[in-house]
Amino acid sequence: MTPTRAVTPRPHDWPVAVRMLDLRRPLTALEDVAPYPRTRVFVQDEGVLIGSVDIQNLWRPVSAVRLRDALANGLAYAVLRRGLERQLGSERPAPLPPDVSVSVVVPTRDRPDDLRRCLAALRAQDTRRCLEIVVVDNHPGQGATRAACAGFPDVVLVDEKRPGLSYARNAGFAAATGEVLVAIDDDVTVPAGWVERLIAPFARPEVMAVTGHVLPIELETESQCRFEAYGGLGKGFTRFEVDGTWFRSMRGAVPTWHLGATANAAFRASIFRDPAIGLLDEALGAGMPTGCSEDTYLFYKILKAGHTIVYEPSAWVWHRHRSDMAALEHQIHSYSRGHVAYHLTTLIRDRDPRALVRLGWSLPKAYLWRACARLRGTSDYPLRLILTEVSGNLAGPWALWQSRRRVRRLGRSAPCIAPDRRAPRAAGASGEIHAVHVESPLTESTAS
Amino acid sequence: MKLISVELTEPLPSIPPPTCGEQWVLLLLRGRPLGMLHTGPGGCTPRELARVTLEQHGWAIARHVAAYSMSVGADAARSPISIDDLAKLSGASREETDARAAITAAVCTRNRADQLPDCLHALLALDYPAELLDILVVDNAPADDSTRDVVDRYPRLRYICEPRPGLDWARNRAILESRADIIAYTDDDVSVDRHWLRAVESAFRQEPQAMCVTGLVVPDAIDTDAQALFERYGGFGRGFERGLFRVDVEGGHSAMRRFGGTGRFGTGANMAFRREVFDEIGAFDPALDVGTPANGGGDLDMFFRVLRSGHALVYEPAALVRHRHRRDYPALKTQITNNGIGFYAYLVRTARAYPDERRAVIALGVWWLWWWNARRLFASFVRTGRIPRDLIVAELKGSFTGLRRYAAARRRAADVLRQYGTPQPAGGAKP
Repeated sequence: MTPTRAVTPRPHDWPVAVRMLDLRRPLTALEDVAPYPRTRVFVQDEGVLIGSVDIQNLWRPVSAVRLRDALANGLAYAVLRRGLERQLGSERPAPLPPDVSVSVVVPTRDRPDDLRRCLAALRAQDTRRCLEIVVVDNHPGQGATRAACAGFPDVVLVDEKRPGLSYARNAGFAAATGEVLVAIDDDVTVPAGWVERLIAPFARPEVMAVTGHVLPIELETESQCRFEAYGGLGKGFTRFEVDGTWFRSMRGAVPTWHLGATANAAFRASIFRDPAIGLLDEALGAGMPTGCSEDTYLFYKILKAGHTIVYEPSAWVWHRHRSDMAALEHQIHSYSRGHVAYHLTTLIRDRDPRALVRLGWSLPKAYLWRACARLRGTSDYPLRLILTEVSGNLAGPWALWQSRRRVRRLGRSAPCIAPDRRAPRAAGASGEIHAVHVESPLTESTAS
Repeated sequence: MKLISVELTEPLPSIPPPTCGEQWVLLLLRGRPLGMLHTGPGGCTPRELARVTLEQHGWAIARHVAAYSMSVGADAARSPISIDDLAKLSGASREETDARAAITAAVCTRNRADQLPDCLHALLALDYPAELLDILVVDNAPADDSTRDVVDRYPRLRYICEPRPGLDWARNRAILESRADIIAYTDDDVSVDRHWLRAVESAFRQEPQAMCVTGLVVPDAIDTDAQALFERYGGFGRGFERGLFRVDVEGGHSAMRRFGGTGRFGTGANMAFRREVFDEIGAFDPALDVGTPANGGGDLDMFFRVLRSGHALVYEPAALVRHRHRRDYPALKTQITNNGIGFYAYLVRTARAYPDERRAVIALGVWWLWWWNARRLFASFVRTGRIPRDLIVAELKGSFTGLRRYAAARRRAADVLRQYGTPQPAGGAKP
């Protein structure tokens, strides 16, 4: 009657179709999700990100009514709260004054296609502000980045020969002239209203950093779905903020890794000139043996100095996750190395004993729980990835030592100097600025 | 007491104290069933009703309001939700859709002429365009002409006699006689809601992939302990949340493993199919359901075959009917026994028809025996539960009986076929 069944049933967890819809528009059937067993729908209401729901559509279109049921069941509270917010007028914070200059710093390394996409989206930003775009080429000898930037004449291109994402970002921060510096990765795509939503919290003087949500632009492969299940890069749909009081109130290690990432973050430029905070730690971050955590350590220093960090989910960007399992394992291994390296850094540099609580107690416990959950069958997170994480953790101290040695050899980043004190067209120790972009009068008046 | 429907967008009534049995209240919001609650022996005031409603169904109301704030398809875009909308539910009416598809509503009945008028009056009161609606009464192996006499009083009804004894023969007769693309089945002990067919039709229209739509069955009245007991035992209601169910059969997934217990989707008293699905998966199995040794399971089997063929099944609570539960305890016990017989007969039938599902059938049969029957039986010894032990024992016995009954039922069906021949259409159409 029906064909004999295949030996192993096909999985229903991936690939996942990713869709964004606006509650303001009438819901329509999702006709184009038939190639997927599952659909993740992100929901926004006029630019405010409300949440997401998953629909198991099993290779069929999703009707409008089913979509509405799924949204109502999954997001009823968020939708109703949004209605209340709108009514009470608490939805929109005061916007950032238009005379505040903003620079976007994009470090890149031989990914011209991603970079071109990213720059095009940055040019299409829905803002009346003049955005300065600084691209940092972390592999200047290769030439691909320069070629990619050729189509964007007003982009400032900075060379940083020393490999390492922290070196590159630092060079970009040092070259940028904005009062607010936005950090993104070259493999993200930004929606049109993104930059204004990301920088809006800076209207409050105590806010020194803002991070945003990072949504997956596609979930086509197992590794991309696993990465989202691992935690992804986003930090949820609820806005929150943390400050020095929160920092001091923590008994265990301060969970700065829950605050976001420099794949989508903005900083007040003055913090980089603050001796208590400074630039990103060169020993941490991609391109170094430690692999990551330069952003978490920066958040740590910002909070330690008593400033406020805001997580603004509505300032979301789209990120393309690695699409093969080997790259995913590599990434998770480096996250785990960097995580330990970060805690050791807070222990050594800042004499913060709370790092020991994390390294000696809560981190091993977390892995044990996760492994138990897998063995009991309550989770489908692969044991292999748990082992990858543990081995990454064990490699952390050695990676930190290696990174420190490399930084001693290569030297620190050039310090960030206020734009009005910089020598014109200065070629910093870190690199060379090729095209100094003449900004609008707005930027120059604020700089002087 | 008769079930009271309360529409939350209108001023709440006070519920009088019940004079017999229990007083149940069906809550509706803009015409959609939201939930049920039952009031105490003293009845309740509007204020009290509001409090209990919010306590027990606040979240369901929130979900309905959130869903209502989202406009679908070609609807005019609604204004965003405001506090007023949250606080005031009034001012909005039920969502009307214009019915477009022709439907055959089929009632299969047997020797219940005394109860039939209630059922027929409800069908005649259906809010559905007359030119699209064809109401069919299938009289199954009648002992006398009483059913025919009752139906003859209503010129809008079509009477058809199906001499082969067995509910599934009657259901198959309805397929043969139907002129519409959708066939909606109900039973003779059911009063359908006015909006029943509109909800069925819009469910089929909204979900083009659905081949079967089942709906909510609430008790018509709770007058006796036996009726209250049936509702507590599980009843026919399957919740107030719309759902779409499909098994990825072409991807190698087992329909039996995923949704083998098809009783969760509804019951034969409230089910509708697209006609075309019968051409693909065949008609109802005449060896199953009431009037055969199997005593039930015909609806379960059809739900399973719809899913097994990779089609979708929709549970739409807005498609509402009211069922008159058995009034006395012996009848209730018989019904519970038949539940056990029917379910296991359905499992045996599935194991015979689909060898590749056999292991899943056995797994489900054993699990159900433990989880539903044995576990509750043990629990009834530990503490005297709300359900009498002999009902649990009755279903357990029925389960074992059901294992043997399907073979006998098949022989009986073959005899019937020999005796009466293959059913032919347009047999007893009313002149």
